[in-house]
Amino acid sequence: MASTVISHGFTIEGELTADDDVVIEGTLRGKLVSKDTVKVETGAVVEADITASSLSVGGQVTGNVTATDRVDLMPGARLIGDVKASRLTIADGASFKGNVDMDV
Amino acid sequence: MARTSSTSHGETAVLGKGTNLRGRIAGEGDLRVEGTISGDVALKGHLTVDGGAEITADVQARSVVVEGAIEGDISATEAVAIRAGARVSGAIRGASISIEEGATVNGRIDADFELPAELGGKGAR
Repeated sequence: MASTVISHGFTIEGELTADDDVVIEGTLRGKLVSKDTVKVETGAVVEADITASSLSVGGQVTGNVTATDRVDLMPGARLIGDVKASRLTIADGASFKGNVDMDV
Repeated sequence: MARTSSTSHGETAVLGKGTNLRGRIAGEGDLRVEGTISGDVALKGHLTVDGGAEITADVQARSVVVEGAIEGDISATEAVAIRAGARVSGAIRGASISIEEGATVNGRIDADFELPAELGGKGAR
């Protein structure tokens, strides 16, 4: 189990920083920084810039994302914002609008 | 506790150790805090503040268990339990309030229950 889980039905407004992995199933507005993995699950809504070691998106993200390792957009994901990561995958069925910078 | 634990609806959220939230959090379910929060907490479920966790803001929940530190007012519709080693500074309001030996509490306590008639109903402080 992830060390931080923002479950379905929860809303955060503000800045969340974590040393360990974070799973978002609810809503987050503001800013999200983790030294570990961030997972935005299907149904989650994130309106925030995200910084993480790796990020997987199954839900909806509006904001710029930066990952030191990788970004994965899963089927059904929706990302509006710029991606900065050395590795990026966009699955069939994911939608994405923004710039990609893989030159890290 | 047995009375309240079965009535929980929604899911449990966790703010793990090393997680810091600056801002407010609201939710339908239960929340367990192991990290730090500076911002209001409003829950429909139960709040658990672990030993080592710190909240600097007002908290509202159905019931609250504190083993860590809260600097701010606590308001619960059901029970508030301040465990040994906990530190609370702020007003505590709940249907029932328990404070264990070894806890540090600074502030007003407002246990919001009906006194039996033989104790004079309201106004018996």
